[in-house]
Amino acid sequence: MADTKKNAVWKCIVVLAAIALCSGLLLGFFNIITYVDPLQSAYDRFAQDTGASFSEMTDEEGQQYENGSVIYYAVSDDGEWHAFLASGNGGFGGPVQVYLYFRGSVLEKILIGENGETYLDRLDDAFYGQFLGKDVSELSGLEADLVSGATKSSTAVANAVDAAVRYWNEHVTGGNTNEQA
Amino acid sequence: MNRRKIKETVLGGLIRNNPTFVLVLGTCPTIAMTTSLAQAFAMGLATTFVLIFSNIFVSLLRNVIPDKVRIPCYIVIISTFVIIVQMVMRRFLPDLYETMQAFIALIVVNCIILARAESFASCNPPLYSALDGLSMGLGFTGALCLIGIVREFFAGGAFAGMAIPGFPAMSGAGASAFGFIAFGCMMALFNFIIQKAEARKERLRQASLPLAGGAGEVQA
Repeated sequence: MADTKKNAVWKCIVVLAAIALCSGLLLGFFNIITYVDPLQSAYDRFAQDTGASFSEMTDEEGQQYENGSVIYYAVSDDGEWHAFLASGNGGFGGPVQVYLYFRGSVLEKILIGENGETYLDRLDDAFYGQFLGKDVSELSGLEADLVSGATKSSTAVANAVDAAVRYWNEHVTGGNTNEQA
Repeated sequence: MNRRKIKETVLGGLIRNNPTFVLVLGTCPTIAMTTSLAQAFAMGLATTFVLIFSNIFVSLLRNVIPDKVRIPCYIVIISTFVIIVQMVMRRFLPDLYETMQAFIALIVVNCIILARAESFASCNPPLYSALDGLSMGLGFTGALCLIGIVREFFAGGAFAGMAIPGFPAMSGAGASAFGFIAFGCMMALFNFIIQKAEARKERLRQASLPLAGGAGEVQA
């Protein structure tokens, strides 16, 4: 009786593990077919969003902070644009990736990247207006007003902006990036 | 294959057991993804793909999967195909993927897929299960597209992204509340038409009996 029960448990484990293994193999195969190089994807996106050319990623390693991180940082070939791919923690569906573009030291564009949020469309011009058109010095330590009804999504975006600003203050102003350090 | 069963399976998913209008399953994506026809169509196709392949694999493994772990097994199978859809969309349809990514991931917990795996695919052969997935998926896609057309028309004054001249967009019509109203009205209309059609069919059947007026039926 005990053996039968034990066998049934083993059968459950083996079947579930076999299905999971086959699923993993299938996903691995599709990953090879559909793989998108994140670095190349970031290059393409930076160029598409700014209209400038980026031939080298200034920082491929990024920097981790408590509430967010900078994934990639690049300066356009003409030196006019500073492009960041940052990630902000605290979103309802996990971290939110945000593309941030500074012309000189002024934040010109904020564009949302990969995310698992469903309320990002509630972030209106008033929210983004707190950041856009402002110099890095004004953005440092800025306590942004969050959006009611999309508090977590707006927190994540604000955290991404904060991560980029901190990175700027720590590495760009001094002219040091992680790769150069 | 039994021709009658094929017909029942196909018509069941499309009309008689339409997952959206009759079984009222998958209401969350129905409301969330019907703000435009393009999104509704893409969501419907993604769900159809997952339905077909998860049904086939659940059916193939129906004699192997132990009863106690059937739900975790179904979830693993369903999520595998959802991730495949995500990968393919991210690679080949990046713009559409960006607008729908959160909802594509939520297909895993779409109750239509789990319901068909549990109630149909787990007790039918693979070909019927694939057919059931296809018909249910097309029924779901059709319903989403109908609601999408109505919502896009009122909210944006457009059809499939093309503005209709002279028709103003109604503010507030893009909200979820209007989505529920449109969904309810279309569900009522769909069921009204089906009931009328079935009543007419029944009348014709009664009339064709040897003794008109139902006298040909066996009296209880």
